[in-house]
Amino acid sequence: MRLCRYFLYPTQPGVIEAMEVTLFIHAADDAFRILENAKAQAVGLLDTATRLTSETRWMEEKKLQTILKGAHETRSGIQSFVITFVMLMGFWALLSGKFDAFHLSLGVICSLIVAYLSHDLLFANVRVGDGRVIVRRFLAFIPWLLREIITSNFYVAYLALSPKMPIDPQIMRFKTKLESDISWVVLANSITLTPGTVTIDIADREFMVHALDRKTAAGLDTGEMEDRVAHIFMEADHIYIQDVLDVSRIFAELKRGM
Amino acid sequence: MIGKSDDIIIKTIARIFVPFLQLYALYVIMHGHYSPGGGFQGGVILGASMALLLITHGYDELKRRLPEGVLLLLGSLGVLIYAGIGLLCLILGGNYLDYSQLSVILGVDAAHARSLGILGVELGVGFTVMAIMYSIFFDISTGGILPEDQRREGRVEGER
Repeated sequence: MRLCRYFLYPTQPGVIEAMEVTLFIHAADDAFRILENAKAQAVGLLDTATRLTSETRWMEEKKLQTILKGAHETRSGIQSFVITFVMLMGFWALLSGKFDAFHLSLGVICSLIVAYLSHDLLFANVRVGDGRVIVRRFLAFIPWLLREIITSNFYVAYLALSPKMPIDPQIMRFKTKLESDISWVVLANSITLTPGTVTIDIADREFMVHALDRKTAAGLDTGEMEDRVAHIFMEADHIYIQDVLDVSRIFAELKRGM
Repeated sequence: MIGKSDDIIIKTIARIFVPFLQLYALYVIMHGHYSPGGGFQGGVILGASMALLLITHGYDELKRRLPEGVLLLLGSLGVLIYAGIGLLCLILGGNYLDYSQLSVILGVDAAHARSLGILGVELGVGFTVMAIMYSIFFDISTGGILPEDQRREGRVEGER
């Protein structure tokens, strides 16, 4: 017993020695506590970040739902009524071609009836944006689309006329980054108008496209058409939201690791 | 019952086209007295626009726009306009639908009265044809049972 004590405390255990040990233990304790605190803080931070991103995702999904429901009305009823009336009146003048008072008043009455019946159809879910800019960009999009249609016309003719007929039909799917139904429709119809590719279905923002061969599929996969359509409807801002949403997955991984 | 479509492309295109379709139908009705077309053709186009709205946006949306009662009223009103104009000519001393007699009431010459009388008759025909076309389509698509009754009986909506 005495020997043991001698070995443990070779220079006769004193008060100083004991104090040093206690101090060391205290210091270690402190260090541990600080580490624990830091860890707790980090976990809290990550929790908040994950919650925030999931909230963003939830908001995004909700926005999509409202778009799908067509309840995303940004224009007031009166405004859409007036715009619809003016457009219908222009259409009437184009059709009728008679500008005497009798026919014009008939046109006004008919346009009023139709505008009353279906003014909420034409502007069911217009996003915030300048209509004139959209029209100008859409008109600028048409020549590009025409060029695309003509070149792929030649390509499909080459495929059909070459003796081997080197087609490789395939169905490809891609998630779109576009947000409103009108831009989906413009993209889908542009794809269908371009020879060699046909849009089969849009479901859950996923396009299902039939392509005649690998080259046309690859041409679609570059996403140039999608970018141009996004440009028309001023929907380029979605990219950043998507980036944030992707980070949430990384956060979840990190949290699991800790 | 024809359920509403889930296809975004069809829904959106229908949404944009229906107002112009309806205006075109009214144009065909209104210009029936001196260009091809008339009450029947315009009424059919108008009924077709209703049918398009029914198969893309569903029955509830259409009912909100144009209730069943209004539709039936329009159908009867069309017949009333037609018969009324015809009888009016008869009362004024001409034959049935002899529009030139209307010049007394309208205060214009006989040729102009004929044109206006034809327009009125076309309007009546258009209303009736629209209402009847739509209700024939609707009856065939539902099998004669209104969606409200189907719901009351506990059937699934959108059942084909």
